[in-house]
Amino acid sequence: MEEEEIQKAVAAYLRKKGFTNTELALQEEQNRVSFSSNSDHSVSRLENGPVRYSDGYSKLRLWAYSSLDLYKHELLRVLFPVYIHCFMDLVAGGHVHEARNFFHTFREDHESMHLRDLQKLEGILSPLHLEEIELSRSFRQNKFKIKMCEYSYDLLLQYLQKTQSFTMRGVINEHIDFEVSPGQPTSSSGDADFVTIEGRNNDLVRQINQKEIHWGVLEDSLEQHLERPVSDSEKAESANKELVLISVNSLIQKRPLDGGKQGIPVKMVKKDKLVNMVGKNVRSETSAVSVAPRVKPELTLPTTLVEVEQAILEDLRSRVQLNSLALPSISFYTFVNTCNRLNCSSISQDGSLVAGGFSDSSLKVVWDISKIGQLVKTSSLHGEKESAKNENLPATEEGKKPYTLFHGHSGPVYSATFSPFGEFLLSSSSDSTIRLWSTKLNTNLVCYKGHNYPVWDVQFSPVGHYFASSSHDRTARIWSMERIQPLRIMAGHLSDVDCVQWHANCNYIATGSSDKTVRLWDVQSGECVRIFIGHRSMILSLAMSPDGRYMASGDEDGTIMMWDLSSGRCVSPLVGHSSCVWTLAFSCEGTLLASGSADCTIKLWDVTASTRASRMESKSSSSNRLRLLKALPTKSTPVYTLQFSRRNLLFAAGALSKCS
Amino acid sequence: MSIVPKETIEVIAQSIGIANLSPDVALALAPDVEYRLREIMQEAIKCMRHSKRTILTADDVDSALSLRNIEPLYGFASGDPLRFKRAVGHKDLFYIDDRDVDFKEVIDAPLPKAPLDTAVVAHWLAIEGVQPAIPENSPVEAIVAPSENKKSDNSKDDGLHVDLKLPVKHVLSRELQLYFDKITELTVTRPESILFKEALLSLAADSGIHPLVPYFSYFIADEVARSLHDLPILFALMRVVRSLLHNPHIHIEPYLHQLMPSIITCVVAKRLGSRIADSHWELRDFSANLAASVCRRYGHVYHNLQSRLTKTLINAFLDPSKALTQHYGAIQGLAALGPGVVRLLVLPNLEPYLQLLEPEMQLEKQKNEMKRKEAWRVYGALLCAAGKCLYDRLKLFPGLLSPPKHKVWRSNGKVATSTPNKRKPSAIHSMQQPPFKKMAVDGAIGTMQPIAMTTGSQGAEDRFPTQSSGTGMGQSSAAGQVSVEAFGGRRTPPGSAVLAQAWKEDLDAGHLLASLYQLFGEGVLSFIQPVEMSFFI
Repeated sequence: MEEEEIQKAVAAYLRKKGFTNTELALQEEQNRVSFSSNSDHSVSRLENGPVRYSDGYSKLRLWAYSSLDLYKHELLRVLFPVYIHCFMDLVAGGHVHEARNFFHTFREDHESMHLRDLQKLEGILSPLHLEEIELSRSFRQNKFKIKMCEYSYDLLLQYLQKTQSFTMRGVINEHIDFEVSPGQPTSSSGDADFVTIEGRNNDLVRQINQKEIHWGVLEDSLEQHLERPVSDSEKAESANKELVLISVNSLIQKRPLDGGKQGIPVKMVKKDKLVNMVGKNVRSETSAVSVAPRVKPELTLPTTLVEVEQAILEDLRSRVQLNSLALPSISFYTFVNTCNRLNCSSISQDGSLVAGGFSDSSLKVVWDISKIGQLVKTSSLHGEKESAKNENLPATEEGKKPYTLFHGHSGPVYSATFSPFGEFLLSSSSDSTIRLWSTKLNTNLVCYKGHNYPVWDVQFSPVGHYFASSSHDRTARIWSMERIQPLRIMAGHLSDVDCVQWHANCNYIATGSSDKTVRLWDVQSGECVRIFIGHRSMILSLAMSPDGRYMASGDEDGTIMMWDLSSGRCVSPLVGHSSCVWTLAFSCEGTLLASGSADCTIKLWDVTASTRASRMESKSSSSNRLRLLKALPTKSTPVYTLQFSRRNLLFAAGALSKCS
Repeated sequence: MSIVPKETIEVIAQSIGIANLSPDVALALAPDVEYRLREIMQEAIKCMRHSKRTILTADDVDSALSLRNIEPLYGFASGDPLRFKRAVGHKDLFYIDDRDVDFKEVIDAPLPKAPLDTAVVAHWLAIEGVQPAIPENSPVEAIVAPSENKKSDNSKDDGLHVDLKLPVKHVLSRELQLYFDKITELTVTRPESILFKEALLSLAADSGIHPLVPYFSYFIADEVARSLHDLPILFALMRVVRSLLHNPHIHIEPYLHQLMPSIITCVVAKRLGSRIADSHWELRDFSANLAASVCRRYGHVYHNLQSRLTKTLINAFLDPSKALTQHYGAIQGLAALGPGVVRLLVLPNLEPYLQLLEPEMQLEKQKNEMKRKEAWRVYGALLCAAGKCLYDRLKLFPGLLSPPKHKVWRSNGKVATSTPNKRKPSAIHSMQQPPFKKMAVDGAIGTMQPIAMTTGSQGAEDRFPTQSSGTGMGQSSAAGQVSVEAFGGRRTPPGSAVLAQAWKEDLDAGHLLASLYQLFGEGVLSFIQPVEMSFFI
């Protein structure tokens, strides 16, 4: 009698303090003690171990499904973790046959939400496999986090007490973290967001995501010069500058490629001069950019030639403003007769060069687009509507091949990227090398060996000279053109690093991986500074907004997520594509996001509207979905690459696929 | 328990020379084999994704194997999709169909065509966000916007009917395509051949051609519009229509809306055929009968079919600005629809129309030989239609009218026969000879025409006025009186209600005859069966 009273008091105390897990554990222990003492019935139950898992689970399932509608969806969330762990417990216990049966009996319940995980787990047949497979380890080591309201939680506890099924109780205790919120249950719509696997390194992630990052644009960008009021530069005496300019020009020519910061002030003077020449018709503002803070570059930046700079400024002046009302023109480059061998394509900034990487190890750079590209461009900029006729005149009449063939790789080419000014081309291949090609000399310049496995992706930095690569060996690496060894190795992903992208200010790179996370790395220190969790399948494409504040990532299922870099949170998921999102691109002002997918469409999304909305109502994340502006279907051509030119003309490329 | 049974392991072990693998080992290996297989497939899927594909190929599996430092499987690298065959006796066991290739065949075979080289084609996918309608872009408007387009089109301009069709995929077997091509070719090129007649028979009887009906109806509509100048083709097309209508196995109703305009065109078009000598009259008759048969067969399904048809025809008939050929077609069309239609729609308009027609038929007033000929044709058609109507009315009471004939015939015979015989005996002869069948009547009119022409040219002027006003009048009124008298005299005893009704109708018929006689002269008389005629005259 006394003992019971004490127990009651302890239980009441625990409940009052909210130590629910402890309470559960206590009760379980008590029960076990009492059972072992009073009956052989329990012994028999413990002996036929495999059965109690499926028994317990099916009872729990029945209970959850027959619960009140109001709480049902919250209670159903518990089922998946329990299911997974029951299965893994069974396997670990060596009851492989029973595990199989159990798995297949209840598989259908979870197929709609967790198909990919189930497919992975299906193959587990022995305890050894549990150790080997990445997913099961992460399940085992981490805890599921489930949000539910107080009442649902109470219901669950009551049920567990009443039925006295220790197995279920044990599983729930061990592997699920409840985040109990007071008040009404949440709406059932956002179901998926509430079951997240968070690691023991949960805190680590939080800690990482609290690191400071400087997401602004570079303080010395050309855009900035364009925006600077003319009056600024007028203060300087022009005659004086003229002199400086001459000396600067000679200096620049002599200076080595990685010239340091001492060159910058001189450059600035020169640019002011340029702006001065530009005169009055300079566009005064682009709102998004003016908000973004300025940061200093951590890398020593390469210098650009005067002519190139001038060309860029020219481009910037004649840039078309895009927003939700003014949609871009899209020029589509279709690869024909590829026999499904085209693996990747790349378009240079001005759209004049198109490269395609093939699975027969070849790289084809198509030249005649430069003529066509100019035609396209001029006609579009002069407002002529149609130039389709001109485009249909390929240069094959001259008898030459319309492209240059680059041979050098010894495996399928998985990625190619042009340098910002189009004079270099990088390609990565399954032979684990990266090759640098000169488009001027039509030859291979350097072969970078460093990765141990196929290199999935390679990307030039926005300023050129540096590039990043990602590989099957679960690392991403930073390189500079002049060194054959990588400068940094970013390790930390749990699976293949599938794609890589530079931040606008070149201080960070983002990597997307098959472990369903996106990470942001500091280039200077090589540290991981952000982990973005939320995707449900492998990440295939990344894009950074030009103001450096947002990042978009697209996955295998066709979901696109927009992330706020500073907070590490998902701003809004974009649902619309039905298949893999191969490519993403922000327009130059960052107002539009274009996405290209295997479902043969290009979709244009409104970025400003959604981000503004999210700022106002930052709490309710489900309401602000990115607005889909337009879906442009192609004629059975999956879209491989998208590229906005500096004038905001959108280039797209893809291989015509006959079937379908 | 695993997908790979232990027997498979044993078989594989034997195949690589391990004869005595213990069952325990096989049992332990099986799950691991399955696990490794799944692992490799997941790697292969990764390779597939990085090759930007959504279909897994043998190459992907090879690269996955090489990722794991395993020798790839050779021999599956061909570009064709692998052909799997189900193993006999097993539900889900498949193997690759690997045929023996004869070297000789391979060597002897001509070199295949070199594949086309990769090329890049540029086009505008969108211009300022709008997709231009060029062949490179997918036809987005046709798929997305039909409902809106239709609405706006209908509301704005009703006259212009835009028929938007969704791109529906429709599979037609090769045989059917050949059949269709052959028939259309025959129709257009050799409509006189025996083969075409065979084709018509086949069209009328074949049970398997239903999928072709939309194509045929489209072909007919299209071809009629195109070859209005080519009479043989039009005739052939109408024959095809008739055959299709006769075919009991096909369901032609949904396509009538497409066929009917073509048929009506062949009835009332202003000009059919290019040469004067073309016998477009026959085509009109043929098509008119076709239209009528459609009405008879599908009138109950499309209740407004006949009303629409008659409206079209009567409009053509009553419009004085229309050509005589069109009038002819309209009359024939109406006549083909049956005597009831003629009585309701044609007869009331007969008198004014004849007044209009009359000057056209006279030599003095219409100098154009062609026009006059046409006018006579129309006259003949009218006469025929009215006559048939009359015949139909009278036919109702054969039994009633039979007994009292002889006396009256004799008494009035003189009047009836004397005057016409005097004027144009040959014409009367020719008209009394032919039997009273529809088709034959047309023929009769055909033969009558030249004669009428010749006689008409002799004394056309006095013929009608005198005949209808003088003797005709007297005769018909006399006939009417006689009939009344005859009934009054002899048929009073069994005076039931039915009889009274019949009597009344008979009176109508009498009046009808009178008025028709008034208009046509004794041409009408030829439509009355001798018995009845004898009664009336």
